[in-house]
Amino acid sequence: MRKLLVLLSAVAMSVVAQGAMASAAGALKMVEIDNSEQARQRGVEIVVSTCMMCHSLKYIKFSDLTEIGMTKEQINNLLEDQDINDRMMSLTPVEVRKESYGKVPPDLSVMAIARKKGPQHIYTLLTDYYYNEEEETDNHLFPGIKMPDALAYADAESDEERAEIEAQAHDVASFLVWAADPSAESRRTIGTYVIIYLIILTALLYLLKRRIWGKIH
Amino acid sequence: MLKKVFSWVDERFPLDEMIKHELTEYPVPRNLNYMWSFGFLAMFVLVVQLLSGIFLAMHYKADVNMAFDSIQHIMRDVNYGWLIRYLHSTGASAFFAVIFIHIGRTLYYGSYRRPRELLWWTGLVLLLLLMATAFMGYLLPWGQMSFWGAQVITALFGVTPFIGEEVVIWLRGDFVVGDATLTRFFALHYLFPFIITVAVAIHLVALHWVKSSNPSGITLHAKDNIPFHPYFTIKDLFGLGVFLIIFFGFVFFSPEFWIMPENNVPADPMVTPPHIVPEWYFLPFYAILRSIPDPMGGVVAMAMSILIFLAMPWLDRSNVPGGAKFRPGYRVMIYVWFLDLMLLGYVGAQAPEGIFILLGRIATFIYFGLFLLLPFISRREERRSREEGLPREAERLIREEQEELLRSEHYLRRENDEKELRDIRKRLEDES
Repeated sequence: MRKLLVLLSAVAMSVVAQGAMASAAGALKMVEIDNSEQARQRGVEIVVSTCMMCHSLKYIKFSDLTEIGMTKEQINNLLEDQDINDRMMSLTPVEVRKESYGKVPPDLSVMAIARKKGPQHIYTLLTDYYYNEEEETDNHLFPGIKMPDALAYADAESDEERAEIEAQAHDVASFLVWAADPSAESRRTIGTYVIIYLIILTALLYLLKRRIWGKIH
Repeated sequence: MLKKVFSWVDERFPLDEMIKHELTEYPVPRNLNYMWSFGFLAMFVLVVQLLSGIFLAMHYKADVNMAFDSIQHIMRDVNYGWLIRYLHSTGASAFFAVIFIHIGRTLYYGSYRRPRELLWWTGLVLLLLLMATAFMGYLLPWGQMSFWGAQVITALFGVTPFIGEEVVIWLRGDFVVGDATLTRFFALHYLFPFIITVAVAIHLVALHWVKSSNPSGITLHAKDNIPFHPYFTIKDLFGLGVFLIIFFGFVFFSPEFWIMPENNVPADPMVTPPHIVPEWYFLPFYAILRSIPDPMGGVVAMAMSILIFLAMPWLDRSNVPGGAKFRPGYRVMIYVWFLDLMLLGYVGAQAPEGIFILLGRIATFIYFGLFLLLPFISRREERRSREEGLPREAERLIREEQEELLRSEHYLRRENDEKELRDIRKRLEDES
């Protein structure tokens, strides 16, 4: 019991610490992330056509998109001047972007793990735009944000329109979750086998331990 | 054939002798619980860190313009690079978790007490080396928290009297944390594990001289010792199995749990994060640092929070042998101290505002207060247990220990111990 207490307290200490840091994140809309290839493919289309006006995803090549089930043809349809082996860089010149926003908009490759509750953060940010008193768009999650209302959420006039934009934001988040950690799926697959193997091995070791110690009891 | 090879070797190298001395005939108290597996686990994690680290170093670039990118290169382009990197990042947290339990066990069961003081001190040196290694390794991904953490911690050396500013520049190799800092931290982060390995060897030599303590904290009769192999090899291997299930659970299913989101943002010297937080294993010490209003005092307090452990064998004045099991006062003290450490960890993760400043100060006061109270607690406790008598089990164990002392080779060698030994012999004769 005592051993358990000590062990638990060590774990609890780290969990409390991490939890305490996470709670500072504010009012996020806690959506579930869709891990399907369809959602990711819909997401990448919005990312390429809208986000990449200003943002880049420098760690990802267009050709990597085959990993989310896209065919070469589908990928070629996304391209403008780029080659399929190019990295997903914004075509707007850096100077122009810097001038518009005061700094180069951040790279989106690892955005989903670069904020607390990253996927929910992305979704909330995209759907938190509104018109303030000066008839300018602002953002509840990030007041004073320089980024324009890319999905035009503040302009939406009906619930259907808003629902549609929310679905788009959802797809963007799905894609960025994949982009931040493309190996996640194979990691979980391998992990399942590793854990099953270890559970069997540990059970056998326990039986062996009982047998060896049985000699002296 | 194999026998021939071994006897050829044995003629020239004490291999058989060593296996006997360190494994098959190395005596270990039979009553050890699973808390005694954590030393072995720490050694295992050290090996994991060494191996994964060497492979990471093959792909990592210690250059401020390339460091962050090279981590992503490892994660995305290197075959199983994500596995190597997550083993290493999770391994760092696992190392501290295992070491903290190992140290907590030492404190609870009084394993630091005579004759294991040197074992205890080498262990504390290992803790300091581990902390330095972890701190330097944390700069290498060159994320926001890497940069600002290093900036804050190196700045602490500015409190050095007279030459503070020079010391900080000397450590960083520049006026701010920059390329010079990154390359030297990389070089030292690669070097330190080998120093740790040597220190572990010394730690083990000391251990095998004084042998393991045990949950009673009182040296057992020789007949209650059993050989390390096979009994503790299998026990430790089972413990390792349980550890690996938890460890790989994190590596494969939640590796980012141990990585702060802020550190997935590239370092930017122009943007200070709203809230600079160290990794979880430094939080209690960070809380102590911030609890003292004076910078110099804070740094001294933080250093003392670990160095004070060196004095444990003297602060503990009790002559009642054993650990917390037979010592009610000490037991309460050690539990309060564990809880206080957790409170400090919690406070360390918060922004230093409002109630947390007060909480941090109270927890810091309790932390050091307990150490300073220990001499009084232990004396009082000894008086009381002399008056009221020890539990029967303790009485028996102490008698057996005294008998054992008469036989042992390297216990109680000093002058006055000879006298003590004669007294014991006389008392045992009288009793029989």
